[in-house]
Amino acid sequence: MLVKNKNWKWIIIFMIPITAMYTAFFIYPFGFVFFSSLNSWNGISSMEFVGFENYSKLLQASTLQISARNNIIWSLSLGFLQIGLATIIAFILARRPRFWKTLRTVYFVPKVISGVAIAMLWKAVYNAEYGALNAVLTLITGQEWSHNWLGAFNTALPAIIAQEVMYIGYFMIIILAGVMSIPTSYYEAAEIDGASVWQQETLITLPVVWGIIVTAMTLAMAYGLRHFEATFLMTGGGPGHSTSTLALMMYDKIGARKLGEASTIGTILVVVGFFVIVTLNKTLGSKSLTGEDQ
Amino acid sequence: MKKITVFSIMLIALFTVLAMPVIAGGQQEAQKEVVLNWPCIWVGEDAKADAVADIVAKFNEEHAGQIKVQIEEMPDYDIYDKKILAQISGGQVPDIFTLKWNPDTKDFYSGDILVDFSEDLAGGWGNRFDSSIINEVTLDGQTKVIPYEMAITPIWYNADLFAEAGIDGFPKTYDEFWDAAEKLKAIDVTPTSQMTGGANAWTSMLWYSHIMASVGGPGIWDKPLSDPAYVKGAEILKRLYSNGNTTKDAIGGGPSVPSGHYLAERTAVFCNGPWFIGNIRENAPEVYESTELTSAPAAAGGEKGAQIGFIQTVLASGATDDPAKREAALTFLQYMSQPENVKRISMDSGALMVPKFTFSDSDDVDPLQKKFVEAQENASFVMNHLAAKFPASVVQEFGAALDQLALGRATPEEFVQMLEAAND
Repeated sequence: MLVKNKNWKWIIIFMIPITAMYTAFFIYPFGFVFFSSLNSWNGISSMEFVGFENYSKLLQASTLQISARNNIIWSLSLGFLQIGLATIIAFILARRPRFWKTLRTVYFVPKVISGVAIAMLWKAVYNAEYGALNAVLTLITGQEWSHNWLGAFNTALPAIIAQEVMYIGYFMIIILAGVMSIPTSYYEAAEIDGASVWQQETLITLPVVWGIIVTAMTLAMAYGLRHFEATFLMTGGGPGHSTSTLALMMYDKIGARKLGEASTIGTILVVVGFFVIVTLNKTLGSKSLTGEDQ
Repeated sequence: MKKITVFSIMLIALFTVLAMPVIAGGQQEAQKEVVLNWPCIWVGEDAKADAVADIVAKFNEEHAGQIKVQIEEMPDYDIYDKKILAQISGGQVPDIFTLKWNPDTKDFYSGDILVDFSEDLAGGWGNRFDSSIINEVTLDGQTKVIPYEMAITPIWYNADLFAEAGIDGFPKTYDEFWDAAEKLKAIDVTPTSQMTGGANAWTSMLWYSHIMASVGGPGIWDKPLSDPAYVKGAEILKRLYSNGNTTKDAIGGGPSVPSGHYLAERTAVFCNGPWFIGNIRENAPEVYESTELTSAPAAAGGEKGAQIGFIQTVLASGATDDPAKREAALTFLQYMSQPENVKRISMDSGALMVPKFTFSDSDDVDPLQKKFVEAQENASFVMNHLAAKFPASVVQEFGAALDQLALGRATPEEFVQMLEAAND
């Protein structure tokens, strides 16, 4: 097809910059990461080729299994809970209730605040000794609460995920923009036909913006797979590795000067990420809600 | 069109002419002045920050036009180590930087990464240091780091809170210590500050080192982790996390947790080095006044009166083919180790320094700093802490294993097994 296009020379010329950048900033670094994953390397001395030894060692390590499981939990939570919430709020705001513009800004504002500041704030909220959450629970229940939310095995991971999931502003704005672009005549016609609000949202709005929602889910799940910041700042992967993620484990391996193993985790992360995103797009992205190919 | 072209050419020519002296001057300046980049941890709220900034400013002033030291502020100790490693892995070794002295530091001696100062030290500069400490950092005849800061990390306790609880002096044994802990709890004071978070669970790692000094004696770190003493030590450490003997946020807590509780008098016992003197003096003067230093209690049948001491920080310089840059780095490191500069840093921060200097009678030496010196002199023996003797993988695992020990997910035996597994 390419040779039949009379502009093929220009197509190639215009492809050169992006191909060069993709090669320089993805293919080459990934190639280097994969190559170093086949070596024992402390980052200082020369690399020593060990084949797939790092892979067999790490795949048996319980910390990697916990980290991979946590990444999947993160991806599913962000992909379904966060995007689900963002979709609901976007649908509500698109109906232009009172103060909808103010609410839109309120939901979006946390997105412009540094993630570090937000993580530190929530760390203080969850603190066992002086945290606001325990204080509120003490006030409500009348019983003394001093639970260490980030220091207990059963609450640490849900506590970090919860504070991340509720920041829906970024995806809410994207979905809201999609919803607002739907012509009002669709809804007017539906109303004349006697469709309820629920039917309008599920039979008009949702199918029209489904592609946007899938894109948002893809982005959110990709973020879940490479999640690092909040966990690093709030628990450092603890207690006892229970909140560790692959990116955090990679960071720890760098700290332990096991750069070969860190690269192995990086390679696993890229491969897992690729399959998750492809699977998501194959299952949700290829068809519209009406079953038509998109 | 022609007018525009002529105007453009004239404009470019004008800019070129005007810029020439600037460019030429800049090149001359660049040829003359050697710029040394120093990613530095002694910045921001660090107790050494002001003194180091003043010394660097004075150095730059005295060597204006010849050498300029540029500080790159990096206040987070844990991230600092990783950043330096990342730079070195990428072949970008900083001109000046600091390292912690531990088994992994010796990796930096391999290859042509650091400047070897052995000949410079032999030429007289070495007289500013204790020869035994220089010997410790000299490997295969090469001295690639300059030992700068040392420390002992005794047990700190709030004597006023102890008196209020009716405790007469610091307990000598752990049996006495558990009794004292109950008395402190009776006046609503949590006995000890602990932490499992951060890169190495610093406060608790020091406590475990104190416990191991008593349980296993001065040679304990030379014994493998399969030695039963490590489990015995873990049993005591577990008890420090039980029955309200530490704060609830110790699990997962970073360095600000134990220090914050001690400064706020919510806990009565703490463990840290002399670099914390500046902080406590400034932020909690009453606690500073009532702080006493001691050795940890002795385990049943164990050694008494030991202290944990070590070379804390060493200075290093990235190897270079440029003789002028090497000379500049040497000049700066020699300047940093001049007695008056070392003394300034020590008096400002309370830190104990490796390069020699003497206090005069007129010097207003910090009383708590004097107690550190006394604690070191009175110690039955001084030994390293765990993080200085085991590889980084074990040190990293320590906090995670301690989480499990403290939360009852691991027995003391399993705690030690986790450390052993990380020690591959």
